[in-house]
Amino acid sequence: MKFELRTRQVCLFLIAFIPINKMFILPSVLAKISNADMWISCLISLSLDLLTIALVTFTCRQSKTDFFNLVENTFGKVGSKLILSVFFVYFMLKAIIPINEQKEYVELTLYTLKPSIFYFLPFFPVVFYLCIKPLRVIGRASDVLWICTLIGYFVLLFLSVTNADFSAILPVGVNGANKIVSASFKGFNWFGDGAYLLFFIGEFCYKKHDGIKIVASYLLSALIILSFMIIFYCIFTSIAHRQRFAFTEISKYTTVINNLGRFDYIGIVLLIFSNTFSISLPLYFACRILNRIFNVKKKWITALCVVGVQALILLTLNRFYLTIENLAKGGFAIFFFIVGNVLPAFSPLLTLKKEKNYENA
Amino acid sequence: MKMVKNLKTNIKYLQKTLDSEDVTFLEVKIKNTDAVLIFINDLVNKDAIGELVLRPAFNYDKPITAQNLFDAFFSPEKKQVFSLKDVVNEVLLGNAILLADGVDSALSFGLKQFEKRSITEPPTSTVIKGPREGFVESLPVNISLMRRKLKTQDLRFENVTIGRYSKTPVALCYITSIADKKLVKAIKEKLKSIDIDAVLDSSYISKLLGEHKISLFKQIGNTEKPDILAAKILEGRIAIFVDGSPIALTVPYLLIEDFQSASDYYNSPYSATVARVLRLFSVLIALFLPALFVAAELFHLQLIPLSFLLTIVNSIKGIPLSPSYEMFLTLLIFEILNEASVRMPKYVGMVVSIVGGLVLGETAVNAGIISAPTLMIIALSGICLYTVPELEQTFAVLRALFLIIGGSSGLYGLICSITLLIIYLISFENFSTPLCAPFSPLIIKDMKDGIYKGFIEEHQMRPLSIKNTNKRRLKIKKTGVDNEI
Repeated sequence: MKFELRTRQVCLFLIAFIPINKMFILPSVLAKISNADMWISCLISLSLDLLTIALVTFTCRQSKTDFFNLVENTFGKVGSKLILSVFFVYFMLKAIIPINEQKEYVELTLYTLKPSIFYFLPFFPVVFYLCIKPLRVIGRASDVLWICTLIGYFVLLFLSVTNADFSAILPVGVNGANKIVSASFKGFNWFGDGAYLLFFIGEFCYKKHDGIKIVASYLLSALIILSFMIIFYCIFTSIAHRQRFAFTEISKYTTVINNLGRFDYIGIVLLIFSNTFSISLPLYFACRILNRIFNVKKKWITALCVVGVQALILLTLNRFYLTIENLAKGGFAIFFFIVGNVLPAFSPLLTLKKEKNYENA
Repeated sequence: MKMVKNLKTNIKYLQKTLDSEDVTFLEVKIKNTDAVLIFINDLVNKDAIGELVLRPAFNYDKPITAQNLFDAFFSPEKKQVFSLKDVVNEVLLGNAILLADGVDSALSFGLKQFEKRSITEPPTSTVIKGPREGFVESLPVNISLMRRKLKTQDLRFENVTIGRYSKTPVALCYITSIADKKLVKAIKEKLKSIDIDAVLDSSYISKLLGEHKISLFKQIGNTEKPDILAAKILEGRIAIFVDGSPIALTVPYLLIEDFQSASDYYNSPYSATVARVLRLFSVLIALFLPALFVAAELFHLQLIPLSFLLTIVNSIKGIPLSPSYEMFLTLLIFEILNEASVRMPKYVGMVVSIVGGLVLGETAVNAGIISAPTLMIIALSGICLYTVPELEQTFAVLRALFLIIGGSSGLYGLICSITLLIIYLISFENFSTPLCAPFSPLIIKDMKDGIYKGFIEEHQMRPLSIKNTNKRRLKIKKTGVDNEI
């Protein structure tokens, strides 16, 4: 059997693409509710994701086929189509906020002189091109871009850590459990990364200790996110929630920047590279689902539909972005939690049913 | 069409087919039997014809049969030909053909001789240390150069003739105990499927052998040096020689190959690593600096340090063109000068460089048409591009594209276009070999010959990026001499 991915690529995928989209507006969203305890809210969400990822990894160990065949084997053709449709809706909705974040970032931070939505449009041909590529391209992108994420992160860390006052997060838990949990709940749109791993089931050769490697990679990724959150809050403390684009703001007090220009842009640009891929992922997986549901052979058709719809959402609902963001943080958060965390957590059950002849599936 | 025993019938057909004034039909007598020697005047060694064909023919005293004739001549390259079509092909290849009355076959003597260039150092890959010989246009000479490098019975050459009119001999070269047999078979089949009028250079084969019809990057590697080719073949690659071309092709091709130089393997690993980093850095400067500068000038002034910004503002004051037009115009002029200096005779080319580079550039800056930073950036970009000469043309196109994108949509447009390029590169495969290996997919064991150049002791195994059937290439035996000393 020829595998599309390698275990190493799955591990690097978690390091390259998981931390980055949590460095845009999520820190300010969390800081607004749980203030100094924002890192605890983040820790809760990360722990839930870790559990999901561990369970999905267990499914990877058990399964001899891919996720689509597993679902079809368990729920039949109609049932599987229904479940896949739920995931399709999930990914389409999950993509809206990060794409808008990046658009807003591009407009307001990169193009301060002439802000316009036009400058963000080149993103869509990139996603379209990615969507028509096989899964191994995601693995290969992880092989290249993990280094961008890590360098970008360390450049920002190096430039900002000296400005952080770590006593700002003490005493721990002063804001109360209610606010901490509430912040965690509102951030579900940015988490639920276990859902991505579902599509890696059966796509790589699971060997002994691979589960540990995957979970360890996620732990590293979680460490990056947590350390970023803590440093971010320790720099800005009570005004942290006003810093909309955390990863651009985090290094702005560094004296090196005054002498060398925006030196931190080296890190920022590297992170934007990773983020461009990262925010394309929901659409990529949405395309894969659509290809499967309708058995589409010409991938460009589904890619065009998915990317077109997302571009249309961006262009038409651009003015209502804050309402959409509030919806994602409010009523839709439970949907994101169920589909992003709960459903993937039940994936080991899919392997209980005796697997059919998957070679023919 | 099969030959017949009647010489006149055969000759009548051949004279009709080879109706050209440079084809000689020399009538001779072999033991009172009529015979004809056919050859193309300027392609054969006439002294050798006299010694190896005519003299034995005059001294021939046995009965005229095909086998007796075959045994009577001592030419090292001789073979029997049974059809008239093959006779025509042999003549066109430059061989001499002897037909005798009463025999329904012909003898072909490989007595080709034509002018060929002597072996010199190829201008595209000069080295300070290391072998300086390069391939020439003659296929036999190139094969002999390879045989001299790799004296093993496993070195195989397989010949294919391609070209309806050119009938160009093409040779496939590989080491049987290393090369992947499936790959050899796939290439052989692909070569045999080529049906083209003529193959005038190996670049024809290179374009036809690629799996992707439209490709920004090359799909087949090439080299002009036997030492490089030997090293590539020893890694499991397959070489293709084309008669008439001094450039040998190699399959499969990895992008990193063009960042490696022959001298990297003859110098110390430290200097080789530094040189490779420099090449990579130079390519990044060449590709992105003009576009980034224009993007920064137009959209992202905050990227430029204040002191540098003031210098730029002073230098662009009064320039009538917008930054992107100015950069594009300068790039255009640079490309025109580049094209002209390559095409012109050597000495005129030097004049063009001086007039274009010094006079035109300085005058344009003094006249206030273009600014000094723009000129400097284009000049730097132009120089940097030549650190990887093999990819110069591809990168020149990409540089122009990035410049247009940077000038029209700024940094984010550039980021998106680079991301697009990354997706393109990492998904690109030819003969099931990823173009960007060993970086994507990441093959850590092969990184010893990536940007970092490892010591020779580190290269104990053949690269995994290229399929091969023999993994080990170096065994270090402990002799114990060190301890004794």
